[in-house]
Amino acid sequence: MPLLRNGHLVTTNPWVRLEDDAPYPIHSSTDTDPETPVLASLARFLQLQSDGACTVSGVWLSPDDDVRQLADHLHRLQVIVIDFPKYTDGRGYTQARLLREQFHFAGELRASGDVRPDQILFMARAGIDAFEFDTEPDEALLKQILSRFHVNYQPSYSLPVAG
Amino acid sequence: MYQYTEYDRDFLQSRVEEFRDQTRRRLQGELDEEEFKQLRLRNGLYLQRHAYMLRVAIPYGLLSSVQLRRLAHIAREYDRDYGHVTTRQNMQFNWPELERVPDILAELAEVDMHAIQTSGNCIRNTTTDPLAGAVADEIEDPRPWCELIRQWSTLHPEFNWLPRKFKIAVTGARSDRAAVQVHDIGLRIVHDDAGETGFEVLVGGGLGRTPHIGQLIRSFLPAEHLLTYLSAILRVYNLEGRRDNLYKARIKILVNALGIDTFRDKVEQQWLETRTLDDSFMPQQLASLKAQFPGAPVLGEIGSEPGDTTAPDQMFSNPLFNQWYQANTRAHRDSGRRIVYLSLKAPGQPAGDITAEQMDIVADLADRYSLGEIRSTHEQNLVLAHVPAGELFSLWTELKSARLATPNLHKLTDMIVCPGLDYCSLANAGTLGIYDQIYQRFDDLDYLHELGDISIKISGCMNACGHHHIGDIGILGVDKGGVEWYQLTIGGHAGDKAALGQRLGKAIAKDEVANAIEHLLEAYIACREPGESFHDVVLRLGTAPFKEKVYATAA
Repeated sequence: MPLLRNGHLVTTNPWVRLEDDAPYPIHSSTDTDPETPVLASLARFLQLQSDGACTVSGVWLSPDDDVRQLADHLHRLQVIVIDFPKYTDGRGYTQARLLREQFHFAGELRASGDVRPDQILFMARAGIDAFEFDTEPDEALLKQILSRFHVNYQPSYSLPVAG
Repeated sequence: MYQYTEYDRDFLQSRVEEFRDQTRRRLQGELDEEEFKQLRLRNGLYLQRHAYMLRVAIPYGLLSSVQLRRLAHIAREYDRDYGHVTTRQNMQFNWPELERVPDILAELAEVDMHAIQTSGNCIRNTTTDPLAGAVADEIEDPRPWCELIRQWSTLHPEFNWLPRKFKIAVTGARSDRAAVQVHDIGLRIVHDDAGETGFEVLVGGGLGRTPHIGQLIRSFLPAEHLLTYLSAILRVYNLEGRRDNLYKARIKILVNALGIDTFRDKVEQQWLETRTLDDSFMPQQLASLKAQFPGAPVLGEIGSEPGDTTAPDQMFSNPLFNQWYQANTRAHRDSGRRIVYLSLKAPGQPAGDITAEQMDIVADLADRYSLGEIRSTHEQNLVLAHVPAGELFSLWTELKSARLATPNLHKLTDMIVCPGLDYCSLANAGTLGIYDQIYQRFDDLDYLHELGDISIKISGCMNACGHHHIGDIGILGVDKGGVEWYQLTIGGHAGDKAALGQRLGKAIAKDEVANAIEHLLEAYIACREPGESFHDVVLRLGTAPFKEKVYATAA
């Protein structure tokens, strides 16, 4: 899946998603490198944490998830994926903002799902710094969208592309 | 009024370029209509029954003469020579071509105007008292606060994709002319015992399919916390408001589902957690905003009660002027000035419409008589707020020749009317024809004045853009098997005694609406004590005497 990260489109996405009913640690699969980092749902992540010895370093949030549950675990996480089931569902913006500003999460915040070029400016301003697209987007358009506004009325998270 | 800085202009320029590019991509097929719809809505552009409609923001209903002249120019160059004042104090143009909308937005930006967030599921134009800064019963001018809210809510990174639209109203006066009780958030400026400014905060009011009166969430919010507290309310709503059903997505549904106490607890908790790092404002920012609303130079004496302007001499010699003065002007806090309403409900004119020619005339009159400033009202009229008392007669003469002096303010023919089936793709029934039918039946001004203040509010569907729930008489258009019928409610009220109207009985046939209104008025006149309002009669006697009169005669 094409991913815009640090202002550049990359095609490699070295994460594998752990389904809630899949065994952990992941083995058996021939095409999965055992070193590949793993994304789990919030519920699975918290369960694995309480079981101990969890090396999952990414969480996949659904819009219903309460990000406060992650507050004590953020230092263990490299990436948090925020799912936008529909681009008009704005809950992910609040999740992103709380993770960045209230809980100071410094890793990658990645938008996934129904991510559209015209939305990424708002996402970036809420603190999201990586964007996963279903289809190859126009990179020049993405850069133009992210750099169009020089000023804003609200304090915003810094954009992944310089203005 | 607020003067744009280079910062505001830079921002607005980017917004115009952004929409120009989005429109180009739409026209070239790079954006599909479903996605473009959300983008254009956040720039005020709807697709209506026959054409696009552009809703231009008039932030808190305040316009300069320069801006109004530009609206006149847009009506001429890009539309059909008229505009329409809405119940959110905005102005709609009904016939723009998509290809030219970016040019319209560029023309608006040149005079510091835009159409940002006049539609879509985001924070809409903040509305306020159209008499702000001019009335004696004002605790504090609400407009600096409205401007603060405008800036905070404009392209907010977190709150632009809410479950549903979100409307905020602010009043700074003791008597409520901003209908704060029927808004998603209603704010009343209050002073505490120490004289500090704060806000009484109401939440969960609204009309639409499920009307609710707003509930008190905080009786005193220190003013410096306004934006952080609004953020906390919006955040709880953004996370927990329903997104599965369009008709249950407004904050009023969430507030009622949780109960106000639980909702308040969630907001207070959210606020305590995030208020120190949330959107805030600097005291100097507010001081600078306040300095931009200095108030009119004093000509007479400032009163703390609505004062008596010395009646102009012509009142006694010219009964028509006298009638207009009594009906359409109000006391200013300065005894040397008077507040003048311009009725946009002249005979034969669609309610709330104003022609390009009239806009130019009003702009000139504002320059000559009212410090170059015009207000729009949620009742779809205009106001010149600072007219020197000695110049009322000559202003009246000019207004009269522009057909802007119909002396019917708050009288029966000063109806609030949504555009209805003639324009709107949501409507179930026509409203403009009903307005005409009622208007023609009650065109006798002496009868209207004898009747006193009374409000008729007409909506063409349950979405209630015509505010029918809060009219003394509400009229709701419904569709029954392809035929238009009209459901009447009575006893609604905006203002301080906010109340939702009660349903009268079965719906009325289209041709019978004026008859039914006549019967309601007969019942009112028969029942009222001297000076008693329609609303108070319904409160005292209930709907029975009205029901009897309407349905007995109709049967």
